[in-house]
Amino acid sequence: MAYRSILVKEAGLFMEIKTLLKANLKSHRGTALGICILILLVSLSLGTVLTVWNNSIRYVNSEMDRLHYGDITAWVSGLPDATPLAEEIAALESVDSVGVQSLIFSEYEIGAQESDSEGQLITYDPQRYSYKFFADGLSGYRDAPAQIQPGEIYVPASMVSMFGIQSGDSIIFPIARSGRDMTFTVAGFYEDPFMGSTMIGMKGFLICEQDHEKIAEVIEAAGLDGLAREGFMLHITQSGELTAAQLNALLNGSTSLQSYTEFTHSKDAISGFMLTLQNVFTSLLLAFVAILLLASVAVLSHSIGSTIGQDTVNMGIMKTIGFTGNRLRRIQLLQYLLLTLFGMAAGMLLSIPVSSVVCRMTVTTTGLLIPSVLPAGVCLSVLAAILLLFMAFVWLRTRKIARISPMEAIRKRRSQTEKRVVAPVRKRGLSFWLALRQLLTGKRRYVGACLVAMLLVFFASLMGRVDDWLGPNGEGLMDAFNPADLHIAAQPMGETGMEDVEQTIEGYTVITDAYDLAMPSVSVNGVDMTANVITQPERFHLLSGQTCREADEVVLTEFVAADLGVSVGDTVTVAGALGGGEYVVSGIYQCANDMGMNIGMNREGYNRIGEDSPTMWCTHYFLADPSLQPEIMQALSDTYGGDVYLHENSWPGLYGILSAMRMLMVFLYTMVFLFVLVATLLTAEKCLRAERKDLTIYCALGFSFGRLRRSFALRFGIIALFGSILGTILSAFLTDPLTAVLMRLEGISNFSSHPGIITILLPGMVVTVLFLLFAYLCAGKIRKVPRTSLFEE
Amino acid sequence: MREALLTAKGVVKNSPGTQEPVLDHIDLAIYTGDFTVIMGPSGAGKSTLLYALSGMDAISSGQIFFKERELRSFSEKKMAALRASEFGFVFQQTCLVSNLTLFENVAVAGYLEKDQSEKEVRQRAESLLARMHVEKAKDRLPSQTSGGEAQRAAMARAMINQPGLLFADEPTGALNRKNSEEVLDLLTSLNREGQSILMVTHDVKAAIRGTRILYLEDGKILDEIALPPFDAQTAKDREGKVNAWLTALSW
Repeated sequence: MAYRSILVKEAGLFMEIKTLLKANLKSHRGTALGICILILLVSLSLGTVLTVWNNSIRYVNSEMDRLHYGDITAWVSGLPDATPLAEEIAALESVDSVGVQSLIFSEYEIGAQESDSEGQLITYDPQRYSYKFFADGLSGYRDAPAQIQPGEIYVPASMVSMFGIQSGDSIIFPIARSGRDMTFTVAGFYEDPFMGSTMIGMKGFLICEQDHEKIAEVIEAAGLDGLAREGFMLHITQSGELTAAQLNALLNGSTSLQSYTEFTHSKDAISGFMLTLQNVFTSLLLAFVAILLLASVAVLSHSIGSTIGQDTVNMGIMKTIGFTGNRLRRIQLLQYLLLTLFGMAAGMLLSIPVSSVVCRMTVTTTGLLIPSVLPAGVCLSVLAAILLLFMAFVWLRTRKIARISPMEAIRKRRSQTEKRVVAPVRKRGLSFWLALRQLLTGKRRYVGACLVAMLLVFFASLMGRVDDWLGPNGEGLMDAFNPADLHIAAQPMGETGMEDVEQTIEGYTVITDAYDLAMPSVSVNGVDMTANVITQPERFHLLSGQTCREADEVVLTEFVAADLGVSVGDTVTVAGALGGGEYVVSGIYQCANDMGMNIGMNREGYNRIGEDSPTMWCTHYFLADPSLQPEIMQALSDTYGGDVYLHENSWPGLYGILSAMRMLMVFLYTMVFLFVLVATLLTAEKCLRAERKDLTIYCALGFSFGRLRRSFALRFGIIALFGSILGTILSAFLTDPLTAVLMRLEGISNFSSHPGIITILLPGMVVTVLFLLFAYLCAGKIRKVPRTSLFEE
Repeated sequence: MREALLTAKGVVKNSPGTQEPVLDHIDLAIYTGDFTVIMGPSGAGKSTLLYALSGMDAISSGQIFFKERELRSFSEKKMAALRASEFGFVFQQTCLVSNLTLFENVAVAGYLEKDQSEKEVRQRAESLLARMHVEKAKDRLPSQTSGGEAQRAAMARAMINQPGLLFADEPTGALNRKNSEEVLDLLTSLNREGQSILMVTHDVKAAIRGTRILYLEDGKILDEIALPPFDAQTAKDREGKVNAWLTALSW
């Protein structure tokens, strides 16, 4: 019997909760829908970002493992057969295995576009390196070909965005001078988890063994006229637990590897290069989701406050019939829990197709078809944490319910204290003054809208500043990557004299200055990295200390200094092809190449340890009229073709970043649009409900619908403007330190935004106008407020 | 011949829910200078008639004219302008804008009048509030004043633009006897000065202030009675006369 009475009691409790929940949701369905939509948008964004972020990291690493790329890969050349070197390395106790891939280094040309970095023609060997091949449309895979036909080539999918290449297009590889080129037809696209991203300049191409041999014969026959060269990739897997730097130092110290190395990259570094774009943008998106989350909390807070305000009488009545404050709070908690859960579930479900679309859309920039399977564990954990925070917030925010006195609530004698307001009401600009008065007397109602405006403007402004720093053509990023500024750079590949090149340039505009830069490989304290050797060391982008003017001085990036544990004034050992030497660190400079793993030195300094060859120098020119740069580049290309390697302050991967940035801005402003819409709808609905009587009075006094509507919208305009100003100020102070943290991950240590006036004002203006517009639209409901509500028959 | 301010012809107003007529073919004229009172039992349609005549509520059929023009021909904007300049309203509940002081409540209505400067409006608001004996409370918010003060401020607000017709919907309904007398005295005094008034009430003591009383029942005007201007000395006789008239109408 006792058990039965408990059951009956429980069933009764369930019924009463169900009844109250239904009533609450029905009377506040607009609010419920709005909150649901906000949570849905947050969950949708979060689910998508987490999917891309989590899956891309896992996928790149798993693919590199599947293809046996090892812990370190060394690109070597100058040896006819890599097997003896591979055996020498494999004999080391710390090395588990060494895989060898044959390749040919060569520049390439697609249509009128020349490559910025060397390409690597890799011999296709499906038994040992089973690459994945994309089906047409790049939205899935097809079976890997058993063999590649002579004359055919497979290219990474990122070349679609870098060069606009399609199947059937031709790629020309200048193998040797006098027109001894090899032309390949693109047979399709393959997934390269190693060099496939637009962020990596060097690109791998798959060709058949017959073509490889044919090219090798041309190179051999060309002798000194050879432009391409044979080489190998050595994928070294260690057996111990050494760091990449330790393994690299061990290999350089114990084997002859260093004599043949062109460059070396660890698995982590390659993974970092591959995921640079995803990491930067998913970090920004995650930050944005956090902002959206805060904005949702602001809206939720306002919603709870106004709902309690509206339902005070009902809650008083409920208390008179025996409901306790805590029980009423639990019902509120349950109501918001259901809304949040529903929004989250819908958002997560929607994020599955959205992630799939995003993963497909990014194939041409990442070079990878990132799996779009929702990482359920990660997503559920994050959502559970958010849910807990939300519920804790709701519980705290509803504590006012416990203080509601039943009789006072029923008599509507709320203990609110009316405050005197100092702002006047003037005849001129009456709508504005009335809007201001409403705002000042109903501040709490608008706090949510103000916070939403502030948070959205802050993030939009932050992104605007990053976009401004990036520049329309990515100049900001290029300046961060380049050790020194330039307009045009030219490097002789044969016997072309630079005097001829300069003459061609001066046919267009005056050369105001020039310096030479070479980028040989060196080892610093045993670790391989690139040296930026310059003839005018004062041109380095110096961050601290002094530049390397003396022959025994070098400058390091912040990352190298941190990695080696040295600072300005310390000494490092730099080794090149001719030996090693001690160098004093004279300063810290900025160059994000190789994720910041490089050093800078002057020509005299390099000559102490390396061989100075005329072809290693690239001359960087400054033009009196930089706007003529495209024409000059075209003229130089037409005149010298493959004999002069040309480049400008750009690289094809930049367009991947720029297009991703544009997509991010579109996403950001879409979210801003939706959030402002929902926040305005929620706040406006509550305001209209609360001000029903006042609106009718104004109407009776002779205020037209249009004037009331304008005045109503103005309030939102004023509050959004206030929030926008706060957001803009906040972004002015926080953009640089916050973005700098993110940029440091990519080797950029001197991020500093200098936005133009439009960039500063635009986000605030957009958000204010959106609030104003949506509030104006919502205020259309004023027409529906019955003017007879002031009388009772 | 007296000028008709408002004329209703065959006005019908159906209940939105049941479609039963709340006002049933009302024909009526409200004249300049009159203190017209509409009486009737609860639910007779008194307030509905008042709000229909003022254009605040839409009618189902029939016509209402303000002077020569039919109200339905006014655009929303022109109707608002008409309310601002020609009509004044005093409601049963104290209907003041909650976040404006008594003075601001009065002045805001005056600001809608284009021909008056802000200074003129403020001066007039001050003098009206003084006349209504609420000058000391003028800087208080409605929630900080008594019901009588608030209602007198509402009357000052209704008078700020010197309206052609003052609508009063049970203006003493929420007031105690003393405050009711004060408000009725003010209305009487305004009418003596020529102000046209249309008041709805079910209180005989309020109704006797009028010069013309209409009796409304079930949405129809059953009868009317004309009275001389109110005089406190003859109030008792006047009340008796009206009571007798109402009794004859089964009140």
